[in-house]
Amino acid sequence: MKSSNFILKGGRVIDPARGIDRVMDIGVSDGLITAPETVRNPEIIDVSGLVVTPGLIDLHVHLRQPGNTAAETIATGTMAAAAGGFTAIVAMPNTTPAADTPGAIEYLRQTAARQGVVRVLPCGCLTRNRAGKEMAGIGGLHSAGVVALSDDGGCIQDHALMRHVAEYAHSFGLPILDHCEDAFLAANGVMHEGEWSVLLGMNGIASASEELMVARDIILSRLTGARIHVQHVSARESVDLIRQARRQGLPVTGEATPHHIALTDECIKTYDTNYKMNPPLRSEADRQALIAGLADGTITVIATDHAPHTATAKLVEFDDAPFGIIGLETALPITLTLLVHSGILTLPDLIAKFTTGPAEVLGLGHCDLAEGHPADITVFDPDCAYEIDPSTFHSKARNTPFGGMKVRGRVRQTIVGGRTVYRYPEQA
Amino acid sequence: MEFRWHRKDLLSLYDLSREEIEYILDTAEEFKKVSERNVKKVPALRGKTVVNFFVEPSTRTRISFELAEQRLSADIINVAVDASSLKKGETLLDTVRNIEALQVDLLVMRHRATGAQNFIAQNVRCGVINAGDGAHSHPTQALLDIFTIRQRKGRVAGLNVTIVGDILHSRVARSNIWGLLKLGARVTLAGPATLVPREFEKVGVRVCHNLRDALRDADVVNLLRIQHERQTAGFFPSVNEYARFFGLNQETFQYLRPDALVMHPGPINRDVELDSAVADGPNSVILEQVTNGLAVRMAVLFLVAGCGNK
Amino acid sequence: MTEQKQLFDAAAIAAAITRMADAIVAEFHPESDNGGFALIGIYKQGVPLAERLIEAIAERSGGCRPELAKLDISMYRDDVGLRSGLPLIRETVIPFNMENKRVILVDDVLSSGRSIRAALDAVTDYGRPALIRLAVLVDRGMPEYPIRADYVGLRVEAPADRKIRVDFKENDGIDAIREVSWHRDAMPQNTD
Repeated sequence: MKSSNFILKGGRVIDPARGIDRVMDIGVSDGLITAPETVRNPEIIDVSGLVVTPGLIDLHVHLRQPGNTAAETIATGTMAAAAGGFTAIVAMPNTTPAADTPGAIEYLRQTAARQGVVRVLPCGCLTRNRAGKEMAGIGGLHSAGVVALSDDGGCIQDHALMRHVAEYAHSFGLPILDHCEDAFLAANGVMHEGEWSVLLGMNGIASASEELMVARDIILSRLTGARIHVQHVSARESVDLIRQARRQGLPVTGEATPHHIALTDECIKTYDTNYKMNPPLRSEADRQALIAGLADGTITVIATDHAPHTATAKLVEFDDAPFGIIGLETALPITLTLLVHSGILTLPDLIAKFTTGPAEVLGLGHCDLAEGHPADITVFDPDCAYEIDPSTFHSKARNTPFGGMKVRGRVRQTIVGGRTVYRYPEQA
Repeated sequence: MEFRWHRKDLLSLYDLSREEIEYILDTAEEFKKVSERNVKKVPALRGKTVVNFFVEPSTRTRISFELAEQRLSADIINVAVDASSLKKGETLLDTVRNIEALQVDLLVMRHRATGAQNFIAQNVRCGVINAGDGAHSHPTQALLDIFTIRQRKGRVAGLNVTIVGDILHSRVARSNIWGLLKLGARVTLAGPATLVPREFEKVGVRVCHNLRDALRDADVVNLLRIQHERQTAGFFPSVNEYARFFGLNQETFQYLRPDALVMHPGPINRDVELDSAVADGPNSVILEQVTNGLAVRMAVLFLVAGCGNK
Repeated sequence: MTEQKQLFDAAAIAAAITRMADAIVAEFHPESDNGGFALIGIYKQGVPLAERLIEAIAERSGGCRPELAKLDISMYRDDVGLRSGLPLIRETVIPFNMENKRVILVDDVLSSGRSIRAALDAVTDYGRPALIRLAVLVDRGMPEYPIRADYVGLRVEAPADRKIRVDFKENDGIDAIREVSWHRDAMPQNTD
């Protein structure tokens, strides 16, 4: 779809960075946000009854290219992002090969430029091949354009190495996105260790495995001054630790995923491998703590941990299935339904978790609808009620347990740099 | 309206009602008599094909199922893990679908992964009987344990049953817990905290880390086999120390009531979890369990096959 | 709801049992030295019928009563897997040695003959009887297997889609024979 000049007319504009929540028009000219009265020959798009926000950002996406393009590609993953209302996504580096060199980052950037639908922000590895043994070439990765560093899927177990990586990354101004997990405590686990793992006889992953590494990261952040972002927080103890750290003014942030907000370990009694992810679905108390953390500002980011897998990979014994669930196309409706329509968060608060929250983690200069800024805009209907239907997804993968869930909230239009990259209903 | 059996799979006692469990036990009473006749065979499953699909080594459970199938006149195919194509990289589901395509009526299945049989039962038409999955469920073992208790004690409700050992990794323990609780027994789990998690208290059983306390007032004590590899994994320091603190020996035996039943699912590590003198003593019903296992498995095969395909 | 029509009442049933007992006494001579024989009631309704026949035989032969066995044929049926739900197996009680015994199988209704086929298999698994006879209260005269009854209380002709239901006081609180519309769930166990 071509870039054009247009005015989004009559929508409820929510712009958390500038504290705006009112009905107003937004003009777009030449890819930038402009005052409506200055747009030349505008197409008028009636968005009355809809919500207009800065483009949503997902800090946590697995695009699977290179290495597992049967599950997802840059093209399909970014199209799924657009359909989910995201205008920018952070691509995790656990591809095959891992994105631990400037060349790998360059490949991602070039492929995304040619085939991507939304902005792809590269993330580089903390250690070579994510092995947790030797520091990756962080300076070179920075020069190649990474916005953050992560060994996601793995976690540096050696605290001294983690300390050095944190210090070194900090000297380049890069945040660390950490998958906090003690590998010894989590060994062989396939689900949360608790009542249900005991009942089902499955190997558990104790919350302590996450809590230990969150505490470690907080301590090292204090020691080094590094910005550390805790990925996919799942345990109530982790929420408490992050809350304390933030009260002390440490540069520590955390993200929650829609699935940890929506589901608990009890789901696994169905043996549906779409409920298998890492960190695992935890108890109801953990779920509530996560929601409380979102409500009180401890958790500033909602990220999907979009982890596509082929149907074949998931159609196996629970023990043998890979971890992961897709999330790009369900994140906004699920969180609208569970957090906003239920009265836990205001709509602007929720939008902040998808916009200013992630932008602050990455240190992005702007994430708002101010005139002169790139026109990255998401338009959605906050009330539209329907059932999630994975057969309509743009992602290559279907590994989600949310099919059939009744939700309220549908993305209507996603605009990247003034170009409409997704619109609902879709044209045939 | 009298109760009728309707399940085409037997996956876990967790899914069954008290009525269903008692129904299996009542049916097993009649099948036990078949094995006591001169003609030890009935034509109940004549023309039915049963596949014993064991994706984990097993001797006694497989033999018991196989004999039960023979006594019901079924046609039998044994597929052991080495013989199956699983090692050639085929998925479990493909392997099972290939077996099913041979017009099989029943699949008796053992697998190392929890829930594997549930996964398969959701994806095939033939009946599935769980012969043990991971640390999750081993319903026919629990049924034969409970059948033995009921025959010996005349009831299950109100009895104190103590299960000792590696509860954490035991499908036998889990199945016994569900079955016994549904029939109204009081269950105590005993062993070191590394092997007996407190979470079990949430389902209404007593957790006890001192064997003597767990044996007092017990009408039945069921000893689980202790796996040596748990020592390597750091769950207890040595087999000797386990035997000293958690084995049923002649000293700890004194804490039991004189009429208590001593049970073991086998195979026994003699003088580790169970002293030889106690295993062979008058309180032991261990060989009776084996005999009853045949009757219980005949009953289960008969009922599940009797309900036909989905 | 099940449609039904009563065919015979308690008095007709009693008279039929008397006739059957007379015929059995005439052939088996319970009072003679060689008088040992047994009635094997097939669950469910064959059992009370056998009990009543034994009483009637005893009255006619100076208190000499044949032995009673109870037989469940669930394990011998040929329709495993075709039924929607399984009723509980009842306890088979055979308090004598089947070897060289003279036995009479007793069932309420002879319809297709399949139950009797199963009962013959079951009985012969317990031993080798000297002879086997068949007594039924109602013969529908439409066997699908080559099986005929030796002692028949009543003969009934009814359409194939109707079923003959026998109730006994012992099990059902009333003595009656009815013609009912065929309904799987209404089908008592072990009748054909």
